[in-house]
Amino acid sequence: MTVRSFTLRSPTPMPGWGLSFGIMLTMLSVVVLIPMTVLLWRGFVGFGAGGIWDVVNRPRVWSALELSFRAALIASLFNLVFGVILAWVLVRYRFPGKRLIDAAVDLPFALPTAVAGIALTAIYAPNGVFGSVIQDTFGVRVAYTELGIWIALIFVGLPFVVRTVQPVIEEIDRETEEASATLGASRLRTLTHVVLPMLAPAALTGFALALARSVGEYGSVIFIAGNLPNVTEIAPLLIVIRLEEFDYDGAVAIAIAMLTISFALLLAINLIQIWSRRRMGAV
Amino acid sequence: MNIEIEEISKDFGTTAALHPVSLSIPSGTLVALLGPSGSGKTTLLRILGGLEFPTAGRVLFDGADATNLSVQDRRAGFVFQSYALFRHMTVFDNIAYGLRARPRKSRPQTAEIARRVTKLLELIKLPDIGARYPSQLSGGQRQRVALARALAIEPRMMLLDEPFGALDAKVRRELRQGLRDIHDTTGLTSIFVTHDQEEAMELADLVVVMSMGRIEQVGKPEDIRARPKTEFVREFISA
Amino acid sequence: MTDTLTISSRPRAFRPATTEPTMVKWALIAFCLAVLTVLLFAPLFAVFDEALRRGWAFAVASLSEPDAQAAIRLTLLVAAITVPLNAVFGIAAAWAITKFDWRGKAWVITLIDLPFSVSPVVAGLLFVLMFGANSALGAWLVANGFPVVFAVPGIVLATLFITFPFVARELIPVMLEQGRAEEEAALTLGASGWRTFLTVTLPNIRWALLYGVLLCNARAMGEFGAVAVVSGKIRGQTTTMPLMIEMFYNEYLSVAAFTMAGLLALLAFVTLTLKTALEWRYADQLAATYRH
Repeated sequence: MTVRSFTLRSPTPMPGWGLSFGIMLTMLSVVVLIPMTVLLWRGFVGFGAGGIWDVVNRPRVWSALELSFRAALIASLFNLVFGVILAWVLVRYRFPGKRLIDAAVDLPFALPTAVAGIALTAIYAPNGVFGSVIQDTFGVRVAYTELGIWIALIFVGLPFVVRTVQPVIEEIDRETEEASATLGASRLRTLTHVVLPMLAPAALTGFALALARSVGEYGSVIFIAGNLPNVTEIAPLLIVIRLEEFDYDGAVAIAIAMLTISFALLLAINLIQIWSRRRMGAV
Repeated sequence: MNIEIEEISKDFGTTAALHPVSLSIPSGTLVALLGPSGSGKTTLLRILGGLEFPTAGRVLFDGADATNLSVQDRRAGFVFQSYALFRHMTVFDNIAYGLRARPRKSRPQTAEIARRVTKLLELIKLPDIGARYPSQLSGGQRQRVALARALAIEPRMMLLDEPFGALDAKVRRELRQGLRDIHDTTGLTSIFVTHDQEEAMELADLVVVMSMGRIEQVGKPEDIRARPKTEFVREFISA
Repeated sequence: MTDTLTISSRPRAFRPATTEPTMVKWALIAFCLAVLTVLLFAPLFAVFDEALRRGWAFAVASLSEPDAQAAIRLTLLVAAITVPLNAVFGIAAAWAITKFDWRGKAWVITLIDLPFSVSPVVAGLLFVLMFGANSALGAWLVANGFPVVFAVPGIVLATLFITFPFVARELIPVMLEQGRAEEEAALTLGASGWRTFLTVTLPNIRWALLYGVLLCNARAMGEFGAVAVVSGKIRGQTTTMPLMIEMFYNEYLSVAAFTMAGLLALLAFVTLTLKTALEWRYADQLAATYRH
């Protein structure tokens, strides 16, 4: 009789379990698991939720957090709408230079954030190509204001929605759209009532990814933001400042506040997604 | 080689894929494991091939305990349902794979490998396709290449998982005879899994009808047809 | 009294039911091109425009400065360490996750993805907390001549964290889709575990692996926030190319900053070109859905 062994894993002749699982677990522990535990331990056990609140509940910290999340939400909402339109244009229309445009959408993934930061600042600064034109016509400054932060975050989050929605549009069965048309719906009505709901779950996924990325973004923002405390100072920058002052507790508290709010937002998006998927599944 | 299955059972988590089953297969027999999906026939075949470990029970090859024999040492010629041809290798390299994987001592010379591959290509009646890639073959050709690849390692038995499952009706009929011929030429004990009762009855010497992880009946095709032992067998073979 | 059905009953400009009016179509295309120009193409152009403001010779000269050279060397060194480590991790994780059934798999996948939703600055903070001079471990390491923070090991760790999911996330879906049958076939034919991996698995995942490595490398060379926190920005020692850009920029050495930026932008070009080439040529062997 073979001995029944109780393991986490069902037995198999596939080789390499020990080696692959070992490498994975070791590296995961050293790079992610232990460092994250140290941070959370230091925050929650070190000085507790109350202590974290005391740090966060100060005007400068509070306005930095508010700014980071507000700007990230605004930029991601823009990217949500623009991303769906761009994905549609890239899948459904034919025009010269389309493949080039398609490839260029990934530029924000490939271009280092510091490069994006100084480049955006150069053109949106008051003496820059676009900055001066905008200031002359609308009387608005872009760089060194919150508007500049929006621009940087839109840049950083641009590819996410496009890349999650594109494959879904490619797989839409055109007969669904034709059915809508034979039932008398206008093209606009077909798009808003039939096509958009099909894209919603993927678009939301892209939105969540863009949001997570832009909330924590640092490199592209600090050049264009102006970094004025209480006005254009983002939360990640405040963490850096606290670290430079050797105020580790302050840095930890802000980091945990950011992680908590991000987690709550992503959870909410996930719930909306489950709800919208269930509706789709019921059709 | 004769195969002895003693009280083999297999659990996946809390569900039992095989209740203890026992079966004795004489050397040189062509056996069909027949049953609907979920009857445990593929699990039993994979246990024989060393791809799955039984929860309890023993497997004997020629009287020697092979339960814990590694998959490499079993020398079972396994033909997968999807054929699992190596898509980045030519047909020639696919068939030569097992010979080249042998330890240096028992590995044949390059020329000898080429000779054996050529012979196998002739056996499956596809002598000219050695340089092609699997994606350039028809379904029927792929199945025969998978057969040749399994035969190349000079197996002690042949195990075939739904060997005709992915083929259309016409090719199926042609290849059935092909499998029978190869079995008769090599004389290897061969076990194939199928859900098609006509296929099992026409091709096999011995039919094992399975359902819900149990063996319902074992017998020659004509006996099973004439005297179905249970209601399930009666229903299934008349379908 | 019968109506005559004329052939010209087809409307003048027939438009299939699944397309938009031509006007709308071109308006949308124009809108997208305008936004992309303002957000993507103009900044990219600006990088090279600013770098070459005072001519090629001046730009090239700014790169030959010792600090700039040290930054380039450090960035290459960090990438040369992190990218292979990441590839090894990605392959090991993908193998453990796709070739075996075990409990807790979903949790591990979530953990691998975690770095994507953590701010780079927080990533840097993690390693300052663990290995900084104020922690017991950090103090001991410094005392024994192996500083991690404000030194190369810290930069490597922070970069590893940031790029952690890249290779694994690319390989897992591809290996899931390819299944286990080919590996099982190799095993039944007598191949050892290593032989199976090297001759069957690796050839099947090579393009996906290259794709993941490419993205991982781009991020590793370009990472700013996480590295800024752990590096200490010691000129010539712990300053990577992106950090050098910031230093030049803050010192109003505009040409030097933008020339260094241009170098990284060229890397981005190469990355995008290779990536697009892989997507066109080997679409079937890459992960079906897009991942960053």
